[in-house]
Amino acid sequence: MHDGSGRIVVQNLTKNFGQVAAVQNLSFQVEPGSVTGFLGPNGAGKTTTLRMLLGLVTPTAGHATINGQLFHQLENPARVVGAVLEAQGFHPSRTARDHLRVYCAAMGMPDQRADEMLNLVGLGSAATRSAGGFSLGMKQRLALATALLGDPQVLVLDEPANGLDPEGIAWLRTFLKAFAASGRTVLISSHLLAEVEQTIDQVVIISHGQTMYYGQLDELRRSQQSRVIVQPADPNKLVAALQEAQITNVTPMPEGRVAVVGATVQQIGDVAARAGVALYGVQEEKADLEQLFFRLTSGQYAAPGTQLPPPGQGQPQQGYAQPVGQQGYPPNQAPPQQFQQQGQQSGYHQPPPGYQPGYQQQGTPPGGWGPPPGQPPTGTPPGGWGPPPQQQQQYQAPQQDQQHGGNA
Amino acid sequence: MGRLISAEFRKILTTRLWWALAIPAVLLAVGWAWGVSAFVTDIADDVADSDLLATTGIEVSDMSWSVLALTRAMNIATIFPMVFGALALASEINRKTITTTFLTASSRASVLGAKAITYTIWGLVYGVVVAGAASLGTVLGSNPDYLPEGGDWFLVLMSGIIACVLWTLLGMGVGALLGSPVGALVLLLVYASFVGPVGELILFGVTEGSHLTGWMPNGSANGLTGATASEVLFGQVQEIVGNNAVLAQADIEDFDIGVRFAAGAPGAYSLWVSGLIFLGWTMIFFVSGLLRNQRRDIT
Ligand SMILES: Nc1ncnc2c1ncn2[C@@H]1O[C@H](COP(=O)(O)OP(=O)(O)O)[C@@H](O)[C@H]1O
Ligand SMILES: [Mg+2]
Repeated sequence: MHDGSGRIVVQNLTKNFGQVAAVQNLSFQVEPGSVTGFLGPNGAGKTTTLRMLLGLVTPTAGHATINGQLFHQLENPARVVGAVLEAQGFHPSRTARDHLRVYCAAMGMPDQRADEMLNLVGLGSAATRSAGGFSLGMKQRLALATALLGDPQVLVLDEPANGLDPEGIAWLRTFLKAFAASGRTVLISSHLLAEVEQTIDQVVIISHGQTMYYGQLDELRRSQQSRVIVQPADPNKLVAALQEAQITNVTPMPEGRVAVVGATVQQIGDVAARAGVALYGVQEEKADLEQLFFRLTSGQYAAPGTQLPPPGQGQPQQGYAQPVGQQGYPPNQAPPQQFQQQGQQSGYHQPPPGYQPGYQQQGTPPGGWGPPPGQPPTGTPPGGWGPPPQQQQQYQAPQQDQQHGGNA
Repeated sequence: MGRLISAEFRKILTTRLWWALAIPAVLLAVGWAWGVSAFVTDIADDVADSDLLATTGIEVSDMSWSVLALTRAMNIATIFPMVFGALALASEINRKTITTTFLTASSRASVLGAKAITYTIWGLVYGVVVAGAASLGTVLGSNPDYLPEGGDWFLVLMSGIIACVLWTLLGMGVGALLGSPVGALVLLLVYASFVGPVGELILFGVTEGSHLTGWMPNGSANGLTGATASEVLFGQVQEIVGNNAVLAQADIEDFDIGVRFAAGAPGAYSLWVSGLIFLGWTMIFFVSGLLRNQRRDIT
């Protein structure tokens, strides 16, 4: 009935809600064995896209397939794709276990699967509590348990980190990577790049319902570029001289300053000297990934429809400049993965056996990016996920940033 | 389909609604049947004591007046299975559990089909429970002389049970069509308890006693339950009159209209015709609710 590939294909997907063009001509593909991030600011059309993929919203045009089939062509869809959707509902007076058993029955899974999944997501002790009394984070976990009930090949998650505690976020990261490494497919949406940056291999960035970037995260990293802000005596003269020197990506800024992309400080200095324009100030700004995301989605630097930002200088970018657009993201030197090593992961348990083998071999994840500096190699926890290498490794970075602060 | 029906049963049994509606349904059916049968008994006793019937030679106790209590009690208690049905899909849409429900089913139509089967069974359960309660109330309130024969009793209860099933499905269709529990409940309750009955009275008056009311959803449902009771009484009266030349044919027809009125089904057709008309209404709402959900965007 389906080709079993685990591939998600989104083709020219378009959705209009009356006057609102929620999604416009979106195309991308998600391969099994990888985690794809689906990023965009609030209202960009992420939820609408995922719901079209899952047959909950009828596209205005285009289509989306899982395993080569439209959702409604899947015979027992929950055995193929599991979904964690925003605002996923629970009956407030139904217990977590009963909720899962309802859907066990619907998809033909044995009842004990409900308790297994509750234990997996750390809700084992809340099995007999009503979902109405759950915190947002607990509801997210219950939604994940529901999604995993059918042991699906494809997992689709819409902002699953919302409301999760740091421990939960760290666990989710590990889980998703292992899930993908076992040859399955993960598509995860977020409005925060930093939230999923450590997890994803491939990224689709959308804004106003249109694709801004689609490709490997590494490519995006490589494409990031610096811009130079100069304060010339005569902006017009400098811009003319720069353009003559084939440096055309020049943007005027307030107070007579000029932002130049695609040229080094030396090049600009040389051009200015030749043109006889005095420079009162030169400042180089390096974009980090988050800024790049911000640029791509704010429409300020990239006109809608632009596929890729202009190629950067191709420098390796170890040194991230100080973030300019402060959004409270952690500096990348302290990757949130540190939390894997934090204490006992009391709530979480062994994954079902099916997921383990892949995880063991996970040394180099598909995307080809190694563990961040100072991290232990990710691939070798003793038995699947459980507590990652906290035995060998103590706290790596003592300081905690805001987002992940507040030890659980 | 079996899997989805089992899931629907679990949904119902893991929440309180089914018994939260069954309890008042039982209380209302017992109370209503008791009250009506006591009332009917009082009147019948008064009539029996009067000189009026002495001239005709009719024995009031030959008539099973308490079928009116049975039918009235079951008719009023159908409100509860109707509410139960109305919430079947509407509350899933409202609580957004419909997302997971659709994600775990092979198609939306299969979900609606499984719900239809499940709620038919639950409509039957409500019907049987309400029938028992109405019978109990009738026995408690009625003079034993006025109780119907076993066969008539059974026929009235059967028609009430069928009415419960059909009201459940009609409620489900309306809920599926509107997608909002509040909207569906307000519409159904206002219609079934006010607009329907009052409108039918007016229609009945304006059209000078035509069968038009019997074509309305509420009118046909009333016919389903009420016509049976009035047929029982009418049959008895004809039998009595057969031995008795004093009453004219016109009087018998007046009696028929009056007794249909008393049974709460003015202008209604007979049991089977009413039942088919009401089944038609149920299918209209159910199918349009199904089609509506086939296309609904779940956002
Ligand atoms: N049911 C709906 N009716 C009308 N507009 C909608 C509906 N759902 C989403 N939208 C609009 O579509 C756009 C994309 O929304 P959404 O897909 O939820 O974005 P995201 O998940 O990226 O935050 C928004 O402008 C939103 O207001
Ligand atoms: Mg969203």
